[in-house]
Amino acid sequence: MSALLQVRHLTTTFDTAAGVARAVDDVSFDLHERETLALVGESGCGKSVTALSLLRLVEPPGQIVHGSSIRFGGRELLTLPPEDLRQVRGAGIAIVFQEPGTSLNPVLTVGLQITETIHAHERVPKREARERAVELLRLVGIADAPQRMRSYPHELSGGMRQRVMIAIALSCRPKVLIADEPTTALDVTVQAQILELLAELRDRFAMAMLLITHNLGIAAGIADRIAVMYAGRIVETAPTGALFREPLHPYTAGLLRAAPRLDGPARPVAASPGSVPPATAWPPACRFHPRCPYAWDRCRTDEPSLLDGGPAREARCWLVAEPLRRKA
Amino acid sequence: MSDPLVVVRDLVRHFDVPQGPFRAPARLRAVDGVSLAIAEGETLALVGESGSGKTTLGRCVLRLIEPDAGTVTIDGVDVRALDRRALRAFRRRMQVVFQDPYGSLNPRMRVGTAIREPLEIHGLARGREADARVARLLEEVGLDASFAARRPHELSGGQRQRVGIARALAPEPRFLVLDEPVSALDVSVQAQVLTLLRELQDRRGLTYLFIAHDLAVVRQMAARLTVMYLGRIVEEGPAEAIYRAPKHPYTAALLSAVPVPDPDGQRARIVLPGDPPSPVTLPPGCVFHPRCPHPLKDDRCRTDIPALREVDEGRRSACHYAEQTTPLAP
Repeated sequence: MSALLQVRHLTTTFDTAAGVARAVDDVSFDLHERETLALVGESGCGKSVTALSLLRLVEPPGQIVHGSSIRFGGRELLTLPPEDLRQVRGAGIAIVFQEPGTSLNPVLTVGLQITETIHAHERVPKREARERAVELLRLVGIADAPQRMRSYPHELSGGMRQRVMIAIALSCRPKVLIADEPTTALDVTVQAQILELLAELRDRFAMAMLLITHNLGIAAGIADRIAVMYAGRIVETAPTGALFREPLHPYTAGLLRAAPRLDGPARPVAASPGSVPPATAWPPACRFHPRCPYAWDRCRTDEPSLLDGGPAREARCWLVAEPLRRKA
Repeated sequence: MSDPLVVVRDLVRHFDVPQGPFRAPARLRAVDGVSLAIAEGETLALVGESGSGKTTLGRCVLRLIEPDAGTVTIDGVDVRALDRRALRAFRRRMQVVFQDPYGSLNPRMRVGTAIREPLEIHGLARGREADARVARLLEEVGLDASFAARRPHELSGGQRQRVGIARALAPEPRFLVLDEPVSALDVSVQAQVLTLLRELQDRRGLTYLFIAHDLAVVRQMAARLTVMYLGRIVEEGPAEAIYRAPKHPYTAALLSAVPVPDPDGQRARIVLPGDPPSPVTLPPGCVFHPRCPHPLKDDRCRTDIPALREVDEGRRSACHYAEQTTPLAP
C-alpha cells in the first residue's frame, strides 16, 4: 500500500548568529491512510519544524533544503505552485496548533473565521458556508453553536478556542490532520476532552493524523505508530505497543523511564543526564552518544542509520547491530 | 505529626474585577477560606487546574500577595502581624521558586550576582566569603562554579531552574514554596530537577509547599496532597491513599485524565463536561456540582455547600457523599 504522505530526506535549516541550525536533518517517514503517527521528543528535537515543513509554513531564515521531498497523494509539495499549495493546505492537509489563543484572529468572530476558510477553498454561497460552519461547531462539541458564531475568541475558554481551531481545520475535509501539541496549553480535564474529540473525529472522517507531542502518555492513548525524534533526526520508529514494551533506542528508554506516571513506582529512575544540545551544535557521529549510558568507540566515530529492529521497527542505534552490548 | 512548621487558617483572598465604567466590579474569589498545615521536613502538594487559586494561596502564605483574612503561622511566627521591616527579615526563612526561571531572573544580571544578591540583602556574607558561598550553592544544585559568570540567556531551561533554586537557597530558608517548578521543563530535565529538590530537602531538612497541576509529577514529590477547585480545598490526605481511592469525584476525574504512558494500561477516563467555571460566578451549593459525574448527585449538592471534614483517618473531603462507598463516577 502506498502511503498517503511520503516524506523523504526532509532537511530544514535556520541561519542563526550561532551558525546553521539543522533543526530537521534528513527525516523520512510515511503516513498511511487512516493511520495515526505520533512524532515524540523533547523541545528542540525538530518535531514542530517537521510539522511546519510539511505545509511549507517555515518562515525565513528557515528553509527546506534542496533534496528534500514531501509527496502527498502522489504530488510533490515542495515544487507545487502557490495556488495549488493553498488547495492542499486545508483541503488536503490541515493543522491544529498548540496555542489557539495566538492562531485565531482576535478581532474577527468565530463564525467569520470558519466561513472565511471555507470560502478560501470552495466556491459556495454565503448561506451554505454559514450552515456548514454552524454544523462544524456542533461537531466539535460547542453548545449553542448558532450563538457562538458571533463570539470573539477572547470570549471563549482555552478549551473552546481549541475546539474552534479544530472546526476550522476540518472545514475543508482534509485527509491528513496535523495536531501540533494540541493540548499542551490546556488544563488536564480539558485536555482529556480534546483528545477524545480528536480521536472521534479522526475515526468519523477516516482521516490520517500526525500528532506532535512531548507527552508519551498522550501518544500511547491515541497513536498506532510512534516516531521518536532526537537532535533533528528520527531515532526510532515502532508500532505503539512494541515501543512501550521494548524500546530499542536508549533515548526512548530514557524518556519512558523519566515519564512521570500514576502507575508503577512512585519515583522513576533518573533520566538520561544532560539535555538536548542546541541545533547549531549537534554532536558528531551518534548525536545521543554524550548522554548515552552504553556509548562505546563506534558511537563516537560513526553515525548509525535507521537499522532494522524487527517487524515494522527501526532504531538509529548500534545496539541493534550489537545487542550483546546492552547487557554490559 | 510533630508541631507543624506552617499553619494556614481560613485564608481568604478576593480580587475585584472591573466590569466597565458604570458597573460595580465583580468579586473574584481566588482563595475562599483555606486551612492547611505542613510538618517540618514534609512536602505538601497543592494541586489544581487554572483558576483553582493554588498560586494565589502560595503567594498569600509568603505575603507576596496580602490575604484579606485568615492567619498564616510559620515556625510559630504570625506572618500577617509582621510589619514591613520584620517581614523583610523574616523572608530569609521562606523563599519561592517560580515556574519560569527566565521570567524571575534579571536577564542582564550574571548568575553569580543573582545568587549573591540575597546574601547581601540579608547581610549574610560579603566579598570573598560571598563568592565562596555562591560557588558552594552552584555546586549544591549541580552546576559548575564557573556558571557564576554566565547570564540567564546562555543557560538551558534546566540550568536556569537550578540557578533559581540556588538563589532561593542562598539565605538558608527552612520553607520553600515551589510554584510549578518543573512545568516548563522537558521530561528528562524535569526528572533531574525533581531529584535535586528531593536531595536538597533531605540534606537541608527543608519544608516544601509544592504547587502543581500535574498529578503524575506530584506523585514523585509529595507524601501528602491537597486538591483545590475554585478557591476551596475539595480533598486532602496521604498521596498514595488518594491515588488508590480518591474520596472526591473531582480528584477521581483529575486522576483519570492523566495520560498513561502504556498502551496496554489504558483505563476508562472520566471526561468531565465543560470548563471549570470562572471564580467570579461561583455556582451555588457545591462548586463542583455542574460538572460532577457522581451517581448520587442530587438537590442537596445544588444548594448546600459541603463542609471539608475528616472522612477517614487523616483524610478530608468536601463531597456530601464522601462517606458512601458508591463509585465516584458511572
